[in-house]
Amino acid sequence: MNWLRLNWTQVVDLTVDHLLLSVPAIVISVLVAVPIGRLAHRRPRWGSPLLGAASLMYAIPALPLLIIIPAVFGTPLRSSATMVIALSIYGVALLVRTAADAFASVDTHTRDAAVAIGCSPRSLLWRVDLPMALPVLLSGIRVVTVSTIGLVTIGALIGVSSLGNLLTDGFQRGIAGEVLTGVVVTVLLALVLDGLLLLAGRLLTPWRVSA
Amino acid sequence: MIQFEQVSKVYARGSVAVEDFTLVVPSHRTVVLVGSSGSGKTTLMRMVNRMVDPTSGRVLIDDVDVREGDPVKLRRRIGYVLQQGGLLPHRTVVDNIATVPVLNGTSRRQAHHDALGLLERVGLSSEVAKRYPAQLSGGQQQRVGVARALASDPNILLMDEPFGAVDPIVRRDLQDELLRLQADLGKTILFVTHDIDEAFRLGDEVVVLRERGQIAQQGTPEQILAHPADDFVRHFIGADRSERSLTTTRVDGRLVVVDGQGRPVGVMRDGA
Amino acid sequence: MNLFAQALAWLGDGTHWQGSSGIPTRVLQHLGITLLTLVIAAAIAWPAGVLVGHTRRGSGMIGAITGGARAIPTLGLLTLFGLWLGIGLSAPVLALVVLAIPSLLAGAYAGIENIDATIPQAAKAIGMTPAQVIRSVELPLALPVIIGGLRSATLQVVATATLAAYTSDTGLGRYLFAGLKTRDYPQMLGGALLVVVLTLVLELVLASCQRLATNRVAHPERNLP
Repeated sequence: MNWLRLNWTQVVDLTVDHLLLSVPAIVISVLVAVPIGRLAHRRPRWGSPLLGAASLMYAIPALPLLIIIPAVFGTPLRSSATMVIALSIYGVALLVRTAADAFASVDTHTRDAAVAIGCSPRSLLWRVDLPMALPVLLSGIRVVTVSTIGLVTIGALIGVSSLGNLLTDGFQRGIAGEVLTGVVVTVLLALVLDGLLLLAGRLLTPWRVSA
Repeated sequence: MIQFEQVSKVYARGSVAVEDFTLVVPSHRTVVLVGSSGSGKTTLMRMVNRMVDPTSGRVLIDDVDVREGDPVKLRRRIGYVLQQGGLLPHRTVVDNIATVPVLNGTSRRQAHHDALGLLERVGLSSEVAKRYPAQLSGGQQQRVGVARALASDPNILLMDEPFGAVDPIVRRDLQDELLRLQADLGKTILFVTHDIDEAFRLGDEVVVLRERGQIAQQGTPEQILAHPADDFVRHFIGADRSERSLTTTRVDGRLVVVDGQGRPVGVMRDGA
Repeated sequence: MNLFAQALAWLGDGTHWQGSSGIPTRVLQHLGITLLTLVIAAAIAWPAGVLVGHTRRGSGMIGAITGGARAIPTLGLLTLFGLWLGIGLSAPVLALVVLAIPSLLAGAYAGIENIDATIPQAAKAIGMTPAQVIRSVELPLALPVIIGGLRSATLQVVATATLAAYTSDTGLGRYLFAGLKTRDYPQMLGGALLVVVLTLVLELVLASCQRLATNRVAHPERNLP
């Protein structure tokens, strides 16, 4: 506690850095994973291998991924861009299967009825498929959010600033309070974002709460 | 008017759903297709709004082949009611009813206003307008389904076992409601059911189907009841069931109608 | 893509395959840590998940535990335990156990809870004791999902076990940290490729276990002609 009292401005700065890395990565993960998930659901022949491949990206250890990305994308090694890309790759890997499941969870009877009364393929996607897939999708997004917030800390190993700095710095200097602060603040941040998503889910799917 | 001209449907794996089916559904009339599962009745209905395309033959609406033009536009001018309402669970009752008008470009405000009128028309109070389908009873959902089908003021209504999932008393109410609506609106209705009593109650004309859309008999309920074409129809309409054969007996000066098992079912009016 | 060629060259170099810090030793260490972690984590998570699943109450609790545990940064646990327990195996193994528990727990719980509730009820009704219901009804039916949880736990542990090398000299992670320090990126990528291959092998083995569990244990009736 003593350490936190002396260094709280640093913790606030690092928390901001942490969010600036994780939020874009989460948004990109969703924007990439949802179309892949839908493709996998609608066209399993192409989609399933794509799904398997995307899921396996999760198996790539984080450190080497942070080295490979600059080689492939041309981003500087110790940059936020590299970190955001790496986090997005893990996010997509975590989310694609849930995204496919989310579209599979849409009741076929309801979908059929919507087609029968004259929904075009486009309005079917926006008015039926996406809203009805939202509950499952949101549960996946929550998992991605929480795990991304945790993963950002790895950036400290290649010198990208985040709450992870408290972990490596505290370890090297032998200050348990600093490491503990890093862990606790990271977990709190994850839980706050998770709670916000849960709340957003309630607001976006009023038919489930009232049913 | 809906015409089926020698339509057949063979599915990819070779199973035949409908074979060489021809029928005319006249305008402003209710025609009921009745048959057990495998009779192809739902497949036939779904050919009208092109949820299914026939392998051969044609389906015409007012002498125009349904395959000319965009299926989405076609569906928006045909009302469709199906089992359990087929309502969108994530939209309120009023949004559900307004779906097609809004898709057709009516303003949301106008569509909602019209939807409230339709709610009343199908016997629901405007209190349910802001509820979600899961908050309604089965019978209420079904009424909303009918209201939704009427929302774009279509000439044709397709009804696919709409009252199959509700209990007998509610079903009876819904049937009465439909008869009342039809007396007002005079739509061209194609109705599918496996319940022969429902078919006789609602149909101006009833088509009894064997398997694969083969017509066993076609006619008014009276004609079919009085002269079943063969044993299949006789068995299907239950003409050999004792409760279908009625006799009268005089009790205290009034004529009481009694079924084949001796149970009273009604009283003849004076002068009848 | 020159980097990949260099990494393959690093892997092809015979001298990297010998001695106490050679590739075979490192692979065995990596497998050892993974296995040890999974055994400890399963010994905690499986009984708990099965019991909670059996009662069919506590989905909220399981959700909170798995969600909360996912939020803990593994690097944080590793460094924290490293400070408390010193350089050695116990810190990384303990951190990885915390990482593995959520998937294992969720798998065991969901596997049991997703069984049609009438089946265990019927088993109880014909006179099975609770232990018998779990052993001969719920566990066999839940096995595929339980193994599914093991699959995702394994995937996470194998990849994350590389971090163990940050506080102790074990496993394939050594190549990553050594490479990072000396900017020897081919060595780093070579080590990463080894991890990916190891993961793929484990994934294939567990996938066939899961298939076997489905076809032989949970749903043998699906094999009927």
